[in-house]
Amino acid sequence: MDLIDDLVTLLPELILVALVLVIIVADLFLPRAAKWVLTWVTVGGLILAGAACVVVWNINETVYNGFYVVDDLSVFFKATTILIGIFSVLFAPSYLAVRRIPLGEFNIILVSALIGMSILASSGDLITLFLGLELMTMPSYLLTGLHKTDRYSNEGGLKYFLLGSFASAILLFGIAWIYGLTGTTNVAGIAAAVDGTMSGALLVAIGFLTVGGTFKIAAVPFHYWTPDAYQGAPTPITGFLSAGPKLGAFALLIRIFADALAPLRADWLAIFLILTVLTMTVGNVVALTQVNVKRMLAYSSIAHTGYIMAGLAAFASADDQRVAARGIEAVLFYVLGYAVMNIAAFAVVAMLQRDTGRFGGLNSFRGLASRDPWRAGAMAILMLSLTGIPPTVGFFAKLYVLLAAVEAGLAWLAVVIVLNAALAAFYYLRVIVYMYMRDPEPEPAPVDTSPLGSVALALSVVGVIALGVFPGAILGLLEVSAASLF
Amino acid sequence: MDGFPLLSAIVFAPALGALLLLFVPGTNLRLIKQIALIAVLASFVLSLRLIGYDTGGAEFQFREDLPWIEAFGMRYSMGVDGLAVVLVLLTTLLSVVAIVYSFEPIKTKVKAYYITMLLLMVGMLGVFVSLDLFLFYVFWEVSLFPMYFVIGIWGGPRRIYATVKFVVYTLVGSLLMLVAILAVVIAHGNETGTVTFSYEALRGFAYADSLQALAFIAFFLAFAIKVPMFPLHTWLPDAHVEAPTAGSIILAGVLLKLGGFGFLRYNLPLLPDASVTFAPIIIGLSVVAILYGALVSMVQPDLKKLIAYSSVSHMGFVMLGAFVFNQQGLQGSIYQMLSHGVTTGALFLLVGILYEQTHDREIAHMGGLNARLPAYAAMFGLFTFASIGLPGLSGFIGEFLVILGTFQYNGLVAGATMVVVVFSAVYMLWMLQRVFFTVPSDWMRQHWSRLRDMSRGEWWALAPLIVLVVVMGVYPGPILELISAPVERIVEAVNGAGMTGLGPLW
Repeated sequence: MDLIDDLVTLLPELILVALVLVIIVADLFLPRAAKWVLTWVTVGGLILAGAACVVVWNINETVYNGFYVVDDLSVFFKATTILIGIFSVLFAPSYLAVRRIPLGEFNIILVSALIGMSILASSGDLITLFLGLELMTMPSYLLTGLHKTDRYSNEGGLKYFLLGSFASAILLFGIAWIYGLTGTTNVAGIAAAVDGTMSGALLVAIGFLTVGGTFKIAAVPFHYWTPDAYQGAPTPITGFLSAGPKLGAFALLIRIFADALAPLRADWLAIFLILTVLTMTVGNVVALTQVNVKRMLAYSSIAHTGYIMAGLAAFASADDQRVAARGIEAVLFYVLGYAVMNIAAFAVVAMLQRDTGRFGGLNSFRGLASRDPWRAGAMAILMLSLTGIPPTVGFFAKLYVLLAAVEAGLAWLAVVIVLNAALAAFYYLRVIVYMYMRDPEPEPAPVDTSPLGSVALALSVVGVIALGVFPGAILGLLEVSAASLF
Repeated sequence: MDGFPLLSAIVFAPALGALLLLFVPGTNLRLIKQIALIAVLASFVLSLRLIGYDTGGAEFQFREDLPWIEAFGMRYSMGVDGLAVVLVLLTTLLSVVAIVYSFEPIKTKVKAYYITMLLLMVGMLGVFVSLDLFLFYVFWEVSLFPMYFVIGIWGGPRRIYATVKFVVYTLVGSLLMLVAILAVVIAHGNETGTVTFSYEALRGFAYADSLQALAFIAFFLAFAIKVPMFPLHTWLPDAHVEAPTAGSIILAGVLLKLGGFGFLRYNLPLLPDASVTFAPIIIGLSVVAILYGALVSMVQPDLKKLIAYSSVSHMGFVMLGAFVFNQQGLQGSIYQMLSHGVTTGALFLLVGILYEQTHDREIAHMGGLNARLPAYAAMFGLFTFASIGLPGLSGFIGEFLVILGTFQYNGLVAGATMVVVVFSAVYMLWMLQRVFFTVPSDWMRQHWSRLRDMSRGEWWALAPLIVLVVVMGVYPGPILELISAPVERIVEAVNGAGMTGLGPLW
């Protein structure tokens, strides 16, 4: 209850805030030639924040008059957030350097977004939630437009900003309705007030919240900003955008729908089912027609959003608590696994953009296997993982969602998911075809071989396989995390 | 598990070889080939120990059982029964043959080639020895992607089309199977309270009729595509034509058997009621496949495509035997799988030998080769006759048993099948005649002087198959004894379901 005592529960966030300040100051004083130090400062700070997550694990306290919830679910999200941050920071420097994008600003904005995601994950009140959301998305807009001299980057940033603000406003409107109906913005309070009885007004509120929330995860039909924002953003940042804000947005959906509106889950299930099926199918079908790998991965990220939403649908459709928890666990595992594989996949695209005239087209990948077998091998494993082939994390993530769906009595949804996965195989395998089965271009794309990126890529691939073969190592954590919702 | 984990060693010896190869420089071809050969030989020699399977003992022997992902009841559980023993032996043997044969023809990306082939073997062997449905599924998928690379990288001109078709076909089937596995596991878990992927626990459980029907269809699709069963076979000719020779040997010899094995191991014992209900349809499709494969083979201008379509016909026998649900039919089905693996593997190898010299497989371009390549012609003849089912060679036993079993099921179906068998003799003999006995074509005359008979390496690759095709033809006893217990269990499982089938579903 004590203000100072409660600060301990905020340790990871506090470290992140301190990190931002340190980078700002260091960026001011470091000479241009020594800016690379910033990367290490950021990584060091993030690792520290990650260690702090261990400290706040198992605390399960609600602090500051219910505004802030430090339960294991939030800690899991924070730890994943920090992991996303570390990989994004490691992959970015050489790409940014070639394009003269300032490293210091990148790190500052990125860590700010991480703080927003952490707050979002911990929000026990819709006010905190909105605060976290804005703190996450504002830096995301900036990151998208970070390449000032590139008009695609500008366009992407602007589009993301305009549409994103619009969606935030809609979400806020939904929050206002909820407040008007229940008299509270507190998540637990709302859950108690709605009491499972549906009304017309509540339906309107849910409608606004659904539109606002699913816009943020880029679900169809609210996905139109995604391809342009993802393609315009500097490639390593696209990797971050596809994993980080998505994680944040799913934290938001869980807090609103699986927590505050949990008593009404039978009512919002139907709309989620429709969105789930639409999202994965449209994402995959459109991805099929892309010849630019970056844009293809953008659409595929929409498809993956659909798979993750299936976990939420399983939660809503479950009869008993164990099955409902399985749905949430599936969401958590998928978000984590997706972050590890997708950030790395975008990083490989970035490595092939050493030449600034390259935009991540399929042709850049031609014959990569003979030019750079290790990177080609890594990309092949990542593509197989995104397809969902064992023994990779992508497979187990999909298996988790399937298991949750079948257990929750949504076997037909599981069938839709696997048919989509087979469809997705077409375009993921196309990258492998280009790398392994076609001859290189006459003037092949130069490859960025900076050691930092290579090490991060190796780590990602090891992670993809290790989590695929021994997912049991973190299943316990997932169970504990999901259990804090019930 | 007592002491040495034999099955793990058999399965992962090739993986170890692949891992070693990663660190060998790609230019050291000699060392690469040596490591690959040692890895498959190790696997083969270890698998010989499986002959010690005690037919009077426990159902599954050489057990290994370790916890894996306990939260979901997945275990690293392996074991073999007689059926798995013979298929593992077939796999390790054909793997050695495929590796030895690859030494000469594979000239590009040699290191990657052997790594891929070795990983392929891991997947195939794993499928046969898994006793946990999750582990089985993992190996099932692992066996898919190396073949994708083998066809796509070392294949013929239309390799990319062929390999993508191959992968997408099989992937659709296997992913649906994954859902079915989960549905079965969850249904069992809800009833008994323990979630487990253990094969032994899941089989013999009375699943609800509607679940059985849907799960059967999903399993059926996965396995039928792999077999491949008419009308899901269209990926096979493309894959075979484009695959390099060693790829074809493995594809025909082992990968198709994964489908047959899947039916015998999973479909029938897990879902007996649905099997009984769907049997007439599958028997009908099998007979059609036998006939269709034979007719289409007859008109193929390409030697490899002809043999590919003949596989459709032969695998039709496998399916027919499996679904008549009696001792003879099932034994014949398994025997036919083994025999087909040996004879078709050998035939693809022989086609490959000729193709390496002429880079052409048009039957119209051949003729009269008997005069130029007598030893080659003799071997080709031997395996052709084995494939037709000449008594004394391996193909006869399987076909005979299948037809015998079919007679017990329905005389009319058996009669129809026998008529169809004649066609298989027609297309094979006609092919033999056009390739070896007529006058050489003008095209072939241009290559006449450059043709050479079997080389020593080729003899080595072929030798074990020659021995097998004869031994299996004249002395089927040991193999039949090995597979009789598994067959009895399947018959029991299906008959235990009372041969009643499913109740009305809708």
